[in-house]
Amino acid sequence: MRPLDEGESTAVFEKLFKFTGNNLKNIVENPSHEGPDPNPGRYCFRLNKNKVYYVSDSLVKRATNIARANLVSLGTCIGRFTHGGSFHLTVHCLSLVASNAIHKVWLKPTSEMSFLYGNHVSKGGLGRITENIVPGDGVVVFSMSDVPLGFGIAAKSTQGYSKLDPNGIVVLHQADIGEYLRMEDEL
Amino acid sequence: METETQFQVDLGNLMAVDLHHQFHSIPSSREELVKECIAKGTELVQAIANNLFNLPSTEDIEGPLVKLPPPTTRLPREKHIPKPKPPTKWELFAKAKGIKNRKKDKIAYDESSETWKRRYGYDRANDEDNVPIIEAKMTDVPGEDPFAKRQQDKKKRVEKQDKNRLQNLKQAAKVGALPSHVQLAATRLPITGTQAAPQKVTKDELGDVAGIAATATASGGKFDKKLPGEKPGKHKGKYRTVCFLPVIGGKGIHTQEQEQTDKILNKLISKNSHEMLNVNKAVNMYNVKKDKKRNNRPEKSSATSSQLKPRKNLQKKPYNKGSSKPFDKGSKKPFNKGSKRPFNKGSSNKGRGK
Repeated sequence: MRPLDEGESTAVFEKLFKFTGNNLKNIVENPSHEGPDPNPGRYCFRLNKNKVYYVSDSLVKRATNIARANLVSLGTCIGRFTHGGSFHLTVHCLSLVASNAIHKVWLKPTSEMSFLYGNHVSKGGLGRITENIVPGDGVVVFSMSDVPLGFGIAAKSTQGYSKLDPNGIVVLHQADIGEYLRMEDEL
Repeated sequence: METETQFQVDLGNLMAVDLHHQFHSIPSSREELVKECIAKGTELVQAIANNLFNLPSTEDIEGPLVKLPPPTTRLPREKHIPKPKPPTKWELFAKAKGIKNRKKDKIAYDESSETWKRRYGYDRANDEDNVPIIEAKMTDVPGEDPFAKRQQDKKKRVEKQDKNRLQNLKQAAKVGALPSHVQLAATRLPITGTQAAPQKVTKDELGDVAGIAATATASGGKFDKKLPGEKPGKHKGKYRTVCFLPVIGGKGIHTQEQEQTDKILNKLISKNSHEMLNVNKAVNMYNVKKDKKRNNRPEKSSATSSQLKPRKNLQKKPYNKGSSKPFDKGSKKPFNKGSKRPFNKGSSNKGRGK
């Protein structure tokens, strides 16, 4: 386990920034009330075997007592670095990202299942959408009851999608909570 | 070995030659020619067999064993006669000066130990490297080490000699008269049966190999001396940063890690600050405000003047992103970063009484 170096930090923050925008500050400077210390420590990012974890300081201190080979996971995993060095967000960061997201999309109940199976979101499945979405933005997908289902990349802008045919793709799927069942082994 | 039929038989090569053979008539067809040749060949082979069986034979498990005599016919050369090599520089000089090569003995008399020692090699006679004392001469510089100087002189002499040897070889190669072992080393011959000889190493391959070799150094080849024209490597230095931040941050408000994250965050936010302000939205709000003003003003001013004024921008602007409006950021009005203009309905002409 080690902290991220500059290049890695930049990559992680950039990916998070796509979804959270300025709220990234809230994530990084979140006071954490875990641990015996009365002063709230901060949350930090740690790297263990190519996976990046979002952990509170007090937890990190205790995790240093575990040998590297034995340490499997700590805190919340937010993503992993690929062999080629690029950073991908995984579904585990959903709760963190969803609470700080700026671009949101709500799905109709009929197309929820389709998204949970890993398909992209088509125009016909869209319930609501926040405005000012640029193609390429990170978007968090909710159900109509405000349950975060996953996240993805916007394929069209908020205005552009009205010009699409009903089967056009609006949000490209990146991660969804159905993965916990489908890809149990790989997570 | 001649027989009655005057065939020349060379038993060492198992060969029989008919020197006086003539084609009596030009055979009309190919088959007749073939038949004649086979007939003649049979006679020759018969002659070889006769002579073979005349040789003294020894008994072996498989049958009579005969030792063939050495061959009598000389086979022609496979390779060309070696070209005469051009004389080396020393040879030319010696010839010009009339210096003859004198034969030396292997043993020479050593003055210092007063024994006979070999002339070269281990424990040689009159060895110049092992003198205990070197007398100082008038020409000597005081700070110099004479032993080191001798070693350097010898090195220089050896280098010069090597250079001369290479020059001689180059001269010989120009004529094409390289000694065979050098020729073989220069152009590696492929082993028969395997693939063709390996091609010359290309520039890119050499660069790659140099890069791989550079990773053997602790600094990843960053400080290696480069030849003139050699390009710097693609992967400079080691791949990893050696120094990571400490795992647990120290006490206090600003640890190293926090500083790093703050720095990166600020960079990110400032890079994307133009997206914080939604320019199109602000522009549209400004335009709508202007429309409201213009709609309110015609009520106050006289009817004629308003009719004379050309009515422009009275339709509500369509709100589309990336719109056709050629609004470039350089000429934008001074908005405050991140703050929206107070859009007060009906109060727009309060301070602007006309």
